[in-house]
Amino acid sequence: MLFNSLGFILFLGLVLFLYYTGILSWTNRKRMLLLASYLFYGLWNPPLVILLWISTIVDWTAGNKLAVEKNSGRRKMWLLLSMFTNLGFLAFFKYGDFLLENFTTGVNALGMTYEPQPMDIILPMGISFYTFQTMSYTIDMYYQRIKPARTFLDFALYVTFFPQLVAGPIVRAKDLISQFYDEKKATANQFMWGSFLLTIGLFQKVVLADTLLSGTADAVFGAGVVLNGLDAWIGTLAFSGQIFFDFAGYSTCAIGIALMLGIILPDNFKYPYAAIGFSDLWSRWHISLSTWLRDYLYIPLGGNKNGITRMYVALILTMLLGGLWHGAAWTFVVWGALHGLYLVVERFLRSKVRLKINPINGIFLALLTYTCVNITWVFFRAREFETARNMISSMFFINNDGVKLLQYFDIFKVMVVVSLLFICHYLMRNSSLKELSLKAPAWLFGVGWAIMLFLIVISQGSGQQFIYFQF
Amino acid sequence: MIIGIVGALIGLVAWEIYWRNHNLVPDLDDDDDLWVIHREAVEDATEDDVVIVGSSRVYFDLQLDKWEEETGKRPIQLAIEGTSPLYAFDDLVNNTDFNGTIVVGVTAGLFFSTLFPEAPPNEKVVSRIKYYEDRTYADRLNYNLSIPLQSSFAFISDVSGVDGIKLKALLDEIEVGQRVPDPMPPFHKFSEVDINRNLRMTTRTATDTAFAGTIKKVWLFFNQAGSENVPEKEATTNFFIENVKKFKNRGGEVILVRCPSTGELREHENQVFPRNEFWDPLVEKSDVPAYHFEDYESLRGFDCPEWSHLSAEDADIFTASLVRILVKDGYLSK
Repeated sequence: MLFNSLGFILFLGLVLFLYYTGILSWTNRKRMLLLASYLFYGLWNPPLVILLWISTIVDWTAGNKLAVEKNSGRRKMWLLLSMFTNLGFLAFFKYGDFLLENFTTGVNALGMTYEPQPMDIILPMGISFYTFQTMSYTIDMYYQRIKPARTFLDFALYVTFFPQLVAGPIVRAKDLISQFYDEKKATANQFMWGSFLLTIGLFQKVVLADTLLSGTADAVFGAGVVLNGLDAWIGTLAFSGQIFFDFAGYSTCAIGIALMLGIILPDNFKYPYAAIGFSDLWSRWHISLSTWLRDYLYIPLGGNKNGITRMYVALILTMLLGGLWHGAAWTFVVWGALHGLYLVVERFLRSKVRLKINPINGIFLALLTYTCVNITWVFFRAREFETARNMISSMFFINNDGVKLLQYFDIFKVMVVVSLLFICHYLMRNSSLKELSLKAPAWLFGVGWAIMLFLIVISQGSGQQFIYFQF
Repeated sequence: MIIGIVGALIGLVAWEIYWRNHNLVPDLDDDDDLWVIHREAVEDATEDDVVIVGSSRVYFDLQLDKWEEETGKRPIQLAIEGTSPLYAFDDLVNNTDFNGTIVVGVTAGLFFSTLFPEAPPNEKVVSRIKYYEDRTYADRLNYNLSIPLQSSFAFISDVSGVDGIKLKALLDEIEVGQRVPDPMPPFHKFSEVDINRNLRMTTRTATDTAFAGTIKKVWLFFNQAGSENVPEKEATTNFFIENVKKFKNRGGEVILVRCPSTGELREHENQVFPRNEFWDPLVEKSDVPAYHFEDYESLRGFDCPEWSHLSAEDADIFTASLVRILVKDGYLSK
């Protein structure tokens, strides 16, 4: 079920009604939330709820065993069972076709003729999110960082909690499960702020991403011809805005909906396009994934504790796998590799050059970071390397006679939205929306809210899926 | 929060009034969801049922109410504007057990154009068939909830192009200079559909010749734009014939129908798709009953306001006449 759909409005209304009418005890309210979460997921494809159940049961069992087991061999076995199950789901459902394709290419390159039937596997929505979330529980249990969930209900709700089930934030057990132990009810302020966040999230998705930017990005990346440099840049900038508004919009909705229930989810974005450098970028973009990769991949790979070379290798490997997490295609691997390379270059430069950031060089460096990020978005958005190659060569003005595709108004529209996005991020980089809203007069806040609601309704998003659902 | 909700409601009421003052009325969108409801109905259809596939001509010209009045049974309308019937027919033959009657509307420029699934005449049909297969329970729920809203508010409309009123369509119509030439004339909406997928030409199209003229310009543009495309006559015919054989073997009946066209469009069709080279061989190879409007006194002589489709009133007459002929010939029963 999509947040930007009529069905979800009805669904959320019913959930809030049952949650707040007082007819259900806290345990029954949690049961209701769990059932609602299965319904939320099952309305997309009912049989795939079984995967959620398997993940839940395996990790609940592994967690309980790890809580009491002292034998290190057996502890490792329980951890491996969880990893094998969750990564096995990912390998089969997400990477099955990709692995088969590459195997076929490899075998054929060796001169053997092999043409397997395509497997046509359905990609379960949000599988990368919930498998990472549930795996983090077992890994934390293995390292004895957390205590086991008190009840199966609390754990199942942690795995399945509908606001963040299909596209994050990927929440750690210590941050969410304990919130289910005691009765939760949003205060009036929390409920209002949650509703406001839901509105902002929908505004980002429906108006900014789908209405203002997606058409230009789709036209440019789907053109199938070598484009003029300006068109290639505008299409890429449009995509950079679209993916931010789409994904940050989802996260903002998720945080808002959870807050309406009195549950607090962590921030997932902190004005990433104002980042100065790539370490800064990854502390602002998809924070729940980047911290997951840091804690469960980069640090176990040695992090920065084993010398510079090992650190660079760990960085590159982490970002390569981060790229592959996003999608089963080599273009995503290149996207990850570029980010890994940026991080390595940045660490190297930082060790050689001491630079004090001030407002003047800060905005220049932020712009430079944003420009480099846009180069990576080309590989993220392009479905084939040929498209990416054509786009990159056009962006570096190698194709002087490339085709013009966009009208002046499209260019103007994208430039206005993306410039405002960058300026807002830069001005807000050390602040938060909450702080800003507290400073604003109530009437202005209300008028802004009304305008966003009005624009959401007249945009009438025809329920376009969030981009990150496919990951 | 109160200012936000009240402000948004005031804005929406004003928006609704604005569009109603511009003669917009609440109506349904002729979209994928509406089509799949009727596609689904084929799963329960019996040998006495009739399904219509084709392009806009059989969609405009065969009026379901009139058909039901004449036969007592309402056909299932699966025609889609601007498309070839080949893949819709293929879907009915290969993905269902339906063994009733399929009326296939033949508009030569679309029917014989191409088999390429991603080409404009097929793309929409293929994507709707895929949507029918992939549609989720959430999609069904959303659509059912949207019907009362679409039927109550004029501003709720998914129409794209020059007559679109959602924010994206309104922005797309803003032009500040022209960086890339766009030779396509404005293509206005000239029909309205109901929940049964009964499509009727708007009164304005039938009575306002200047408005009808804007549609004629679009047909002339398409004629010119398509002049470089070579029809895939053999491939499309063979693909269709193959499916006709399969369908007849399981007891189904296929009826070909060629609806009227007039004016310069008709002249163009006669020139590029002469009857003796396209329609006649198709009828002969298919070996199914076929009805060309030129061959029947009661089916010819209509004036298409924009050269390609009948006005709502004429469509009623045309439908009644065609159904009577089909009953007389024994292909339909009352």
